[in-house]
Amino acid sequence: MTPDAALSDRELMVSRLIEGPRDVVFEAFTEVEHLSSWWGPEGFTTTTRAFDFAEGGVWEFTMHGPDGTDYPNWIQWTEIRPPEVIVLRHGEGPDDPEQFSSTFLFEERNDGTRVILRSEFKTKALRDRAVEEYGAIEGGNQTLGSLATYVTETEDRPR
Amino acid sequence: MARARTTADAFNAIAEPHRREILTLLKGGERVVSDIADVMGMNQPAVSKHLRVLREVGLVYVHPEGKQRRYGLDARALEPVHGWTGGFEEYWGESLERLNTYVKKRQREEE
Repeated sequence: MTPDAALSDRELMVSRLIEGPRDVVFEAFTEVEHLSSWWGPEGFTTTTRAFDFAEGGVWEFTMHGPDGTDYPNWIQWTEIRPPEVIVLRHGEGPDDPEQFSSTFLFEERNDGTRVILRSEFKTKALRDRAVEEYGAIEGGNQTLGSLATYVTETEDRPR
Repeated sequence: MARARTTADAFNAIAEPHRREILTLLKGGERVVSDIADVMGMNQPAVSKHLRVLREVGLVYVHPEGKQRRYGLDARALEPVHGWTGGFEEYWGESLERLNTYVKKRQREEE
């Protein structure tokens, strides 16, 4: 998280520098062929049932975890401003009461494009749950990769 | 997440720094006890004790080879840990990492 961001207690934020020009990075969010190539953690795949990249349009897909678990996903774009902003609603389906809103910002940098994701949940409790449970338990190899991260984090954090 | 009794719990197993060091070592491949003891600067009985705990939770397996026993890592036993540490930041950190790889690949293809 960037230190200067004022986040409410219902929000989460992640950002990362992507090594490519902004139009190319933005494009990776606009077509299902692109999205299915990178969306989700390592080892996950997606099957798309419906896709219409437009404001009010919907992306319905299933994410398949490396352990064989399927996760229903439903996304509706609420704002699309190429190549700067994408806002969407995300949940398991159109009637999911726990839908949350995600804003992707694309900032041009000398060395690439900074993608900033801010997600806003309906309650702090839902936000807190997303911190720990968002996504899924992953397969063994993936788990191994994050062991070092886990160890560093737990050692840094006073208990 | 419910925890099993201490010795049968991956969380407990990796709470001990030497055991984490052993796991990190085994990430690189199977090793025998004497080898692990050498690298870590510990005596063999102490290493064996840690290996026993790691075996009980399934993080480490033993593979007999002649007179020697080789120890290896089975990361699947870390799943409960990962489920606990995973979540939004992990999910999107990995997604954006994949996005970066994908964008770089597309640029190479266009060149």
